[in-house]
Amino acid sequence: MAAVIAATGVVKSFGEGRAARRVLDGASLHVHPGEVVAILGRSGTGKSTMLHLVGGLDRPDAGTISVAGEPVTGTSERALSRLRRRRIGFVFQFFHLLPELSGEANVLLAGRVRGAAPDAAARGQDLIDRLGLREVARSLPHQLSGGEQQRFAIARALVNDPPVLLADEPTGNLDTTAGAEVLRLLRAGAEEGRAVVMVTHETAAANIADRVLTLRDGQLIG
Amino acid sequence: MIRDALAALRARRGRTVLAALGVLAASLVVGTSVTVGYSLATGFERSAERAQLPDVIARFPEQRLRRIDARVSALPNLETRSYRFEALNEDVSGNGHYTGKGAVTTVFEGRRGYTVVDGRDVRDGESGAVVVERGVAREWDLHVGDELSVEEHGTLRVSGIAVSPDNVAFPLASTARVYVSRAEHGGRVRPNVALLWLNDPDKADVTLAQARAVTFGLGKLQFITRTGVEILLSQAAGIVISLLVAFSLVALVAAGTMLAASAHAEVQRRLTGLGVQRALGFGPGRIAAQQAVEATLLAVPAAALGITLGALLVARPAAELLAALNELGPGPTGIAVPLVLSTAGVVALVVAAATWPAWRAARRPPIEILRGGDLARKPRGRARRRGESSGPLGHKSHPNEPAGRGSGLFALGVRFATAARGRWFAAVATIAVCAGVVTLMLALASLLERLREDPGTVGKRYQLAVQLDPSLIPDAERLPGVRDVGERYSIDAADSFRLGEPIRLVAYPGDHTRFENPPLAEGRRIQRPNEVEVGVGMADALGLKPGSTLAAQIPDGGEIRFKVAGIVRALENDGRIAWIQPDKLLATRPDLNPQVVVRLDSNSNAAAVTEGLVELGAELQPVGAAQTDNAAFLAVLAAVLRGVGLAVGLVCLYALVQALTVTARERRGAVALLRATGADAPTVGLVLAGAAVAVAVPAAIAGVVLELAIFGPAVSRLAASFASLPLGASVGQIALVIGGLLLLAALATLLVARRVMREPIIAGLREE
Repeated sequence: MAAVIAATGVVKSFGEGRAARRVLDGASLHVHPGEVVAILGRSGTGKSTMLHLVGGLDRPDAGTISVAGEPVTGTSERALSRLRRRRIGFVFQFFHLLPELSGEANVLLAGRVRGAAPDAAARGQDLIDRLGLREVARSLPHQLSGGEQQRFAIARALVNDPPVLLADEPTGNLDTTAGAEVLRLLRAGAEEGRAVVMVTHETAAANIADRVLTLRDGQLIG
Repeated sequence: MIRDALAALRARRGRTVLAALGVLAASLVVGTSVTVGYSLATGFERSAERAQLPDVIARFPEQRLRRIDARVSALPNLETRSYRFEALNEDVSGNGHYTGKGAVTTVFEGRRGYTVVDGRDVRDGESGAVVVERGVAREWDLHVGDELSVEEHGTLRVSGIAVSPDNVAFPLASTARVYVSRAEHGGRVRPNVALLWLNDPDKADVTLAQARAVTFGLGKLQFITRTGVEILLSQAAGIVISLLVAFSLVALVAAGTMLAASAHAEVQRRLTGLGVQRALGFGPGRIAAQQAVEATLLAVPAAALGITLGALLVARPAAELLAALNELGPGPTGIAVPLVLSTAGVVALVVAAATWPAWRAARRPPIEILRGGDLARKPRGRARRRGESSGPLGHKSHPNEPAGRGSGLFALGVRFATAARGRWFAAVATIAVCAGVVTLMLALASLLERLREDPGTVGKRYQLAVQLDPSLIPDAERLPGVRDVGERYSIDAADSFRLGEPIRLVAYPGDHTRFENPPLAEGRRIQRPNEVEVGVGMADALGLKPGSTLAAQIPDGGEIRFKVAGIVRALENDGRIAWIQPDKLLATRPDLNPQVVVRLDSNSNAAAVTEGLVELGAELQPVGAAQTDNAAFLAVLAAVLRGVGLAVGLVCLYALVQALTVTARERRGAVALLRATGADAPTVGLVLAGAAVAVAVPAAIAGVVLELAIFGPAVSRLAASFASLPLGASVGQIALVIGGLLLLAALATLLVARRVMREPIIAGLREE
């Protein structure tokens, strides 16, 4: 089976002159559909950077990346937007729900973006039900618990039915119970055929992964 | 603290330069407005003082000096007097220019009533020298030492250039004034003008009444007071001053809002730093003080430079405008005080705008500041809890429920813009004031053009005026396209009780409203020959009301009295105008010839009617609007107003871009999130368009309402309290302003969206 995420020889540096620091130095990552990959590593080693590069949120200095057969590197901003819209779902540590919108509206927001999947709204409603969020769907983010917020964020990430789910410290801001529930949902996402890449520094989170990679000295080590 | 502040400003050099440029731009506008406004507002008094303008100018047929001086010197309240002989319609030429409308003024000993601004005055007894009015010198490029040919006097050498603010300057005034000494006439010249300076100018009425009494028999006696001169000269400038003051205020409000919004966003950005400072033990007062010092260090040079540049920028145009009004500029020392005060005002505004949000933020607990979050106020009242209320179909209702699918992203933009209520309101208010001023400019420019060309603006319902034998009126009435024909008598008189007040009497046999229909403000229309309708300007000046008596001194006639039946809003002759039936007027002046006025059908051909009238032997006369004599000046003013409107439009664009930028900057995280979920440039643009429309639409509506309800009436009252200036914007102008504002909103959206799309998504997500 072909890898849905294929990143090879990725290089990324930050800073200039003496302050320049190469956080990724030829890192490679290949993930297949239905697979959950956890990336571990100490703070500042470049885990999130790797995720951002795979998701087309940032551009590498060198290397090639493709997602679902579409190139991420060397492509236009418009093509990257299309890729993020239809092929990639993001889940962030701090949820990033818009505070003025209800949980439901936050989920449906991704479906309102120009070029979103036509059935995104129906899928969003279905996800809200499946993730047990109907009761609190009309509540604003500040009225929700951390676990509920993260479940809404996962629903939002899945609303366009992407083949890739990228999660950046998805349990980092949650208690153990809520964290376990989120991990279960990510695992369920993979079982539906998605490739899930999760950046974490919690070993418990890594337990649900099919593969665990460690980022050290700019390289992903299996 | 100053050293710390300087270091902080240096550390964020780019932002400091941008903020300083913003202050400089706002100060530039303030500097220009203050310079022009102050120069114009104080121009007459300043020039009158310098020129020793008399309190009363009396014109009469030539008299022997001894005879007239015997009468004048006996007047009460008289400080001093001097005399002139004024010859009109003289041939004057020089430097390749010629006019047949020269006013050659022979000055006698004593005060001159003008000030020499270049060269020297003519000396008593000196022949061969002439002083030229500055307007003539500028227009004909004459300098001291040049030669000027003056009818009867031959070639004279220019000894000086003079300014006298008793009239507007040549060529705005058609007469070219020059001054010569009595020696030019070999001493054999008799005065026809007396200049009177009074001990107490407030008691000019007493002096004038006495003057009228002791000079009885002189005939064709005309008085004009210094106040009357000022009223006449300041009429056009008054409108300009009102507008410039309004523009200055708009600029200040706009600049203040922008500065406040920028300062707010800057504090938001530096929240962590403030939190660390608080955690280290700095008090809110200390943090606010540091902010104030930083703002002062930034604002003082920027404001001083901006205001100085603004003043320099308009110094020449202001001087030109003053020269056209025959007035003197304030000079560098005169303008310095208002400019320094303006600089202090701008600095105070900048410091307040920068300090207040820092003080507000720093008063919060340090941990709350460090945690970040928006400075916007949290929802008031009890916290909304889940399941608090249920709507139909079992859905829980929610006040913040998003709009439907179609409007989702656009509505999100609206929410972004309105989330910080105070700032949204300030942005709407700023742009509304700008839109209101632009609407006012358009309305005013149209009005000025109509005042120049359209007699309808002064309530005239006739389109043609001719000299025609009244016996031919029935023939004129039979011409195709003619609706009505009538006789119109007009004469300039003076109020018998207050001789300094000139009044114009207009008389029609029968109902005058067939030909002139000024709106009635009070009382009723005239019905009998002993009744009069007076303009508000005259009623205010003379204290008239329905039931009062108006006594008018008719030149070469006697006094006629009328009972005031009504007060009307009339624009012509500064509102110093009255409508009567002609019986009493003709009884005292049977020699008075009427004009014949012609009212046309709405779809008639004026040219064809004119041709028919000419065939009857009629001689066409111009139908005056309010300012027909100053047509060129009004055209320039209309162009200036449109230019100012355009400048205010640019302020609107700046305010919109600024409001959108601040919103986009504050909601950077949200925009980054949208982009992370795949939003492309048009989608982000849609969100920003929502934010722009949330500001532009209410601002456009409020702007139009402001113009119709406040600006228009206020400027109308300021510029011409004696009449109803039609300053309401037309539907076309309102549509233009609203359309223009929406276009600016689209432009602002485009500019900000481009900038937002260039920002890295990651940076925005980190801020969120």
